[in-house]
Amino acid sequence: MPELPDLNPVIHGKLRLALLSLLAGVEQAEFTWLRGKTGSTDGNLGAQLLKLEEAGYVAVEKKFVMRKPQSVYRITEKGRESLAEYVQALKTLLGSAISA
Amino acid sequence: MQDEISARELSERLDLIQSMIAEGRRSTESWGWVFLLWGVAYSIAIGWASWGGSLSVWGHSYVAVGSVRSGLAWPVTMCFAVIVTLAIGLSRGRPRTATSLVRSVVSIWIAVGIAMLVIFPAFGFTGRLEEHTFVALIAAMLGVANGASGMILRWKAQIGCAIVWWITSVAACFGSIAQLTAVFLIAILVCQIIFGAYAMILESRRNRREVVHA
Repeated sequence: MPELPDLNPVIHGKLRLALLSLLAGVEQAEFTWLRGKTGSTDGNLGAQLLKLEEAGYVAVEKKFVMRKPQSVYRITEKGRESLAEYVQALKTLLGSAISA
Repeated sequence: MQDEISARELSERLDLIQSMIAEGRRSTESWGWVFLLWGVAYSIAIGWASWGGSLSVWGHSYVAVGSVRSGLAWPVTMCFAVIVTLAIGLSRGRPRTATSLVRSVVSIWIAVGIAMLVIFPAFGFTGRLEEHTFVALIAAMLGVANGASGMILRWKAQIGCAIVWWITSVAACFGSIAQLTAVFLIAILVCQIIFGAYAMILESRRNRREVVHA
């Protein structure tokens, strides 16, 4: 029986997975847009984005617009590859679960 | 880890990824109001121009400016529509995401909009544009803009609007002024007012918050 792949624990968190998937569909997104799409709190969202940033999956640009701080996030190449690998692993696991 | 994960949970994760990627790729801005606003503006211009006379795109109330002939209804209504569009657009602030899809669609509409705002006033001042040609041109240009953005977004409803505009463009080459105006009004109703309202309903549904907990 072929060995089943491990799921990347950084991506596997539901909110982190949603954030990475959202960022995969856009070039960049503001913190407030991500908050609106996920319905998460500022604290939780910031913590999950930090984990993704520490893993090198997202990059953040912090700037001031009209004297207000603004954080703009984008998915990195490493993040995109890891998400693709995660999807592949999910499909493999799902296939084995169905055939079991 | 995977021993504890059920097939249902795996499937939910896949669905989540798909829906979130699609959510990001969809236009993140609201544009339905623009269609609705311009549909109403076109209708007001036609209604104003036809006021007190038979149904006509340009109407019968021309003012003489030297040797130049121009109707008031269209220039005034279109200028007002441009001002309202800019005012609402600016009040909504800058977009909070950037996608190449949205930029492509916006670029097409800006280019077509500028072309219309340049060419039609010029024709109006020189008096070298006849009503059938005016409707055929405007319908063809709106068909191009709707068709291109519909194909980019893979949105069948908008491609349908493009087809209606192109049919209107061909139909505008035939018939009387009253028939021409009726065809133009039907196209405006379907492709601007109904389509705009439909887009606004979709946008309001889309903007309902999707809650994802960690």
